[in-house]
Amino acid sequence: MRHDSLGTGLLWIGPWLLGFLFFTIVPVSLALYYGFTDYTLLEAPIPVGTQNYERMFSDEILGTVLWNTAVFGVLSIVIGTITSISLAALLSKPARFQSFWRAAVFAPSVLPLVAIAVIFKLAYDPDPEVGLANQIIEWFTFGLVQGPNWFGSGFWAMTALLLMSLWSVGPAVVIYLAGLRDVPKQLHEAASIDGVGPIGRFFHVVLPMISPVILFNVIIGVINAAQVFAVPLIMTGGGPERSTYFHSMYVYDQAFKFGDMGYASALGVLQFAIILALTGIILLAGRRLVYYRGA
Amino acid sequence: MTTDPKTITRRSALGLLAAGAAGYAAFGPERRRLRRDGRVVLDYWEKWTSHEAAAMQTVVDRFNESQSAIFVNYLTMGGIDQKAKVAIAAGDPPDVLGLWNRNLPFFSQCGAIMPLDGLRDYGIDESTYAKAVGPLVFRGGRQLAAPSTPSSIALYYNKAIFREVGLDPDAPPRTIEAFDEAIDRLTILDGDGNVERAGFLPTDPGWWSWCWGGFFGGHLYDERTGRATVDSAPNIAGYDWFQSFPKRWGLDKLRRFQGAPIDNPSPYRNFFSGRLATTIQGPWLPKFMDMELGPGVFDYGACPFPVPAALADQPPYGPIEADILVIPTGARNPEASLEFIAFTQRPENIETLCAGHAKPSPLATSSEGFIRDHPNTAVAVHEEILQSPNAYTTPWITGWAEFGMALGAGLDQIWNLKSPSAAGPLGEVQIEAEAILQREQERRQRRNQPDPWESA
Repeated sequence: MRHDSLGTGLLWIGPWLLGFLFFTIVPVSLALYYGFTDYTLLEAPIPVGTQNYERMFSDEILGTVLWNTAVFGVLSIVIGTITSISLAALLSKPARFQSFWRAAVFAPSVLPLVAIAVIFKLAYDPDPEVGLANQIIEWFTFGLVQGPNWFGSGFWAMTALLLMSLWSVGPAVVIYLAGLRDVPKQLHEAASIDGVGPIGRFFHVVLPMISPVILFNVIIGVINAAQVFAVPLIMTGGGPERSTYFHSMYVYDQAFKFGDMGYASALGVLQFAIILALTGIILLAGRRLVYYRGA
Repeated sequence: MTTDPKTITRRSALGLLAAGAAGYAAFGPERRRLRRDGRVVLDYWEKWTSHEAAAMQTVVDRFNESQSAIFVNYLTMGGIDQKAKVAIAAGDPPDVLGLWNRNLPFFSQCGAIMPLDGLRDYGIDESTYAKAVGPLVFRGGRQLAAPSTPSSIALYYNKAIFREVGLDPDAPPRTIEAFDEAIDRLTILDGDGNVERAGFLPTDPGWWSWCWGGFFGGHLYDERTGRATVDSAPNIAGYDWFQSFPKRWGLDKLRRFQGAPIDNPSPYRNFFSGRLATTIQGPWLPKFMDMELGPGVFDYGACPFPVPAALADQPPYGPIEADILVIPTGARNPEASLEFIAFTQRPENIETLCAGHAKPSPLATSSEGFIRDHPNTAVAVHEEILQSPNAYTTPWITGWAEFGMALGAGLDQIWNLKSPSAAGPLGEVQIEAEAILQREQERRQRRNQPDPWESA
């Protein structure tokens, strides 16, 4: 009977296992192998030892893309976390049309990234007659401040991408909302009785209680930020002066534009190692900083 | 023991999976190899859309009507060079593939395309083509590709604006010095120095980042030595001229000028609206004038792009490019593919195709009717550049994509005035380019492949 259950279970997850084997395990294994080869995709790979990995140390563009990815990652996670917790806190309060506001925050994240990127590219147009962003700036400043040329300099291009990343905070907000609902009312009441105000309660009761949720969202944020690709590709193409050229874009270019699949594979392995290391560090830090109720 | 009718048994699950697999095999995607009438089907991948795709469709239809043994299945798609790499690597390439000439060094070096030496049997050799076109597709005496539609880049100007400022629309500037003077006359600045009309802007549309040194006699790469020559004196002069525009009018003011009116997303909007008096463009421009503004509405002229006075007596300088046809390695019917490519190279077919694209013909001579009825009244200017020994294209190197991207990043620095002269950024690009070429050479040595300059 037990054997029969195992067989049935394996049968049911068989399609998934096959998919995982052929579309994850095999490609990842091949990428590991190709990282040690000279492989143009169109010719047979030739083993070159650790040459692709050695090349990374003298690759200035790699330094640029890693820096850009780190800056984008850190800032988008910090800004995104603050924004999504704030929105979740607001949405958790009883309000009229509460469901509407919650849906409104989540709705943008269901739109395709490519469509969003095209819309935002128009919104950031430097001409105030065209670009919504600069129209808003001029409206709020009564025409005293002219909006920047968003894609004309590295600083503003990165700022534009960071602001745009807030567009898709919806899923994180939903998770934070669930976390906030889980905070026991008794703790709020106890803190209130002790004379702790709303801000104090937020920092000393709510934040520690939702810290596991924050940890989860930060890890997801790190993974997403490390893989940022489609939006900058469409909005900036990596420019100006490679200021918004990110690691995933570099991997893609090496593989399919420059025809160096060997180096691209090594860069992919580096990306995996960085994400793994960062996740490990965050989890280790979480042991000290995250409060698990009942643990 | 009875089975609950709602329970899915292992047998039924397996049966479902097997039925799905059988259904996919029977009715799923399938590459047709033979039609019902017995004709061999050739898959031809091309990159064009709209009227450009339609022009080739006409040629394909002609071929299919003329044939009882071969049928060409014409498919157009985006990102064709990258898709082709994957298809060839997977051993399932199309029979005929439309690429750009800049792809040829990589595809040929990797052995991903088959030489078209068999075209000689159809009377086609290097002398078939215009002087500057032959070297785009021949290497070491072998024909690697067939040009489909070539283009040369020229200066287009708005004749009405020329007349308005007292410039002779029938005598456009031939030298950079005269052009600079004309630009000043054509440009209108408001009281705050904002550009209302620009005489010329090298970043509008900014599609040929590699072209500016060439007008000053520079080359990015020396084929005889295999060395990059990005920071040569002529290139620095060319890119200094490129940088003179933000220096002249101010970077911020140019950025504002280049902001687009939303009701016209066309890349030609500034030229068509009269905000830009002259522009660097390809031969297709008049076709888009007719499409966007109406037939014959825009009064334009074209001439080879101006060069420094010292080069003005030479045959015209100008960047050229070409769409090309190749047979990928692993194609199922190379003889049939060759027959189709040979058909496209017949004067009547290539002229139909090129006229449909509003481009010049790649052939050594064009028919009278082609020039007379061509949608671009200045097509002779483009043909003149295609016949010129001073026409130039992207370097014959496998790493051009990476080289070009490095040049683009350097160009950003030059345009954004990060350096007082182009020399600094070009020096950085030179270092990057040398590293790219060094890696290329190591790759060739690893694979015992000859250096390309040996066959240049």
